[in-house]
Amino acid sequence: MKEQREGIVEYIWRVFSSMKLGLILLGLVALVSGVGTVFPQANLDPGKAKEVGEIWQTLGFTQIYSTVWFRLLMGLLCINLVVCSIQRFQGIYNRTFALKPPVSVSNVFSKIKAKLAGESEPLKISVQDVLKRNGFKLTINSGDNGWSFIAIKRRLGNWGSLISHISFVVLVIGAILGTTMGFKGFMMSSAGSTVPINSISVSKGRINQDFSVRIYSAEDRFLPNGERDNWYTDMGIIENGTEVLRKTISVNHPLTYRGVTFYQSSFANGASLTVDLKDQKLPIVLQDHGGNYFQAPGTELYLIAAAIKSDPQKPIMLYQVYRGKGVQPVQTGQINAGETIDVQGEYKLTLEANAGFTGLQVKQDPGVMVVWLGCALLLLGLFLSFYWRSMVVLGVFESGQGTEGELTMGTMAGKVTGGVQEEFDRLIHDIQAK
Amino acid sequence: MDQGLQNLETSSFYVMLMAYTLCMFFHWAWIGTKKELMGRFATYLSIVGLVANTAAIILRMIIAGRPPLSNSYEFLLAFIWGIIFVYLFIEYRYKLRSLGAFVMPIAFLILMFIIMSMGPEERIAQAIPPALKSKWLTFHVVTAMFSYGAFATSFGLGIMYLLKIGEEGKGKKSNPHGIISRFPALDIIDELSYKVIGFAFPLLTLCIITGAIWANYAWGTYWSWDPKETWSLITWIIYAAYLHARLMYGWKGKRAAWMTIFGFAAVLFTFFGVNYFLPGLHSYAISQPNILV
Repeated sequence: MKEQREGIVEYIWRVFSSMKLGLILLGLVALVSGVGTVFPQANLDPGKAKEVGEIWQTLGFTQIYSTVWFRLLMGLLCINLVVCSIQRFQGIYNRTFALKPPVSVSNVFSKIKAKLAGESEPLKISVQDVLKRNGFKLTINSGDNGWSFIAIKRRLGNWGSLISHISFVVLVIGAILGTTMGFKGFMMSSAGSTVPINSISVSKGRINQDFSVRIYSAEDRFLPNGERDNWYTDMGIIENGTEVLRKTISVNHPLTYRGVTFYQSSFANGASLTVDLKDQKLPIVLQDHGGNYFQAPGTELYLIAAAIKSDPQKPIMLYQVYRGKGVQPVQTGQINAGETIDVQGEYKLTLEANAGFTGLQVKQDPGVMVVWLGCALLLLGLFLSFYWRSMVVLGVFESGQGTEGELTMGTMAGKVTGGVQEEFDRLIHDIQAK
Repeated sequence: MDQGLQNLETSSFYVMLMAYTLCMFFHWAWIGTKKELMGRFATYLSIVGLVANTAAIILRMIIAGRPPLSNSYEFLLAFIWGIIFVYLFIEYRYKLRSLGAFVMPIAFLILMFIIMSMGPEERIAQAIPPALKSKWLTFHVVTAMFSYGAFATSFGLGIMYLLKIGEEGKGKKSNPHGIISRFPALDIIDELSYKVIGFAFPLLTLCIITGAIWANYAWGTYWSWDPKETWSLITWIIYAAYLHARLMYGWKGKRAAWMTIFGFAAVLFTFFGVNYFLPGLHSYAISQPNILV
């Protein structure tokens, strides 16, 4: 029974340690990913995704990258990579740190080979000098009938493949952390407002932090040539009533506080107004194109800004007033800066100035640093694999008559022989020159 | 001054166009006639074209006051520069002029695409949205320029390999006076193609990673499975499969040559296909078709 169970474990291990399985899984990931670009995806275009036939939606084709079977595919690929890496670790270690000089000429198996005749000791010294000068780490064995050596250069190159394979697993772990932990939210706030972080609208996750965000200003700045410079938000973080951080952010220049990052995402014009309601003065800010509304306390009147001219010298606002659930406005008109109007005899309204609304994407992604670590490992692995290839040179000197003999040298060239051949020829030339 | 620079940039573009076009014909004439003079003209013209290409890029940078990598036209100029630069390096390093006959048409076709599909208003320096004002975009496009250039070159090598093996596969020795006789030995083409992909693959990886870093700074999302990102991943997977199949299963020769062609087709689809065949899914690509190259 035990033997049978071990057999199954071994079988599974063998299947997952197969490079063929890895290639099949990679091919499937590519195929499924490609299919996902043909079907509108709910996260990118929810409207079009809903128009797709119901059967495709049910099968998950409109949210392909978050389906169980796509995740299963990625999971299997990760297992394959981990098993392959474990399997190959010992071999790579031996090829890097436990190199043994060849026992006989037949062990110098290589397509790239050379034979040098000469006296034992001078040849040995020459080989040592040339290889050390060229950055090789050398191990020499001496025997009765001669000597042999093995030397390695750029030995970290051997680890490139392993590091790049493991990096993929690190990337997936980072993505899982980002999906399962943290949150993603959005806030649209006017200059002068203070917003508790846990009150913003969240599309994913839950906010556990309890600080507030103070928006000092929101600006849409232009360059002297009329081109848009950027959107800027001067913002502060208020923790327990005290401002602990203040920074001006813009697109591509976010702010991070306690793991929460604020990204400048959008901007909208707005206007600041004063409402005079039965001798009670209320400052309000309305967003352009009816982005928000104001309901005067104790009334059923809803006020919106239909359009705002954001000229800082002469701001103008077109307003609309609705009563209750009525679809037709009960009052419309234009209000200029400094002007006061009467709204349905219920309150007076004065336009003070322009006010920007800033749209901030707010995100906490504890996996992002893990993802960057995975990226760094991937690049390191690829750099070592392709630009820092290790080179192994080995040789056996067999004595003939007296101290004379023949040194057979070869190199483990791997699958690429071109550059290795040149380097090997140079070494042989230098050894001969000595 | 701006108008003067603008005129100079336009002139550089047309000098480049003329040089690359003539260069392509001289390459064809060289492999057809074997006249050394034709070959020399081809090489000189590719150098003249590269100089004019560089001038067009630098002048655009001066005019726009930013790295010239922010719209389709600017990226295509950089893409062509990458192709010719990698090709000329290989011609110089490996004395492989015959490759030009297969690489130059790629540059020529891209130039024809610019002329036929982009109006003057699309070719002038335009204002860019705040999201594109990032140094990461520059790294992203520069790495794309070299990796795509190298993949184009490996595509040319793949075609050469298939033509040569097609001839030799028929059982006849290649005609010593024929076009194919200009090509190096099959092993050399095959290994060179592998080397070029070995150079380009880490750069493609860097291109995808710098794109992810930029997206994270700009939008707070390093990966959103947008079609452009997804197709760059598919391209990456194709080349990763090529490298694995070659290293582990000894996939060389014909199969490897087909993989280089397949891989470059994915490169082209990532740039052109996503923008033009999947427009509804990538709104950013319609207005800024270049941003995730």
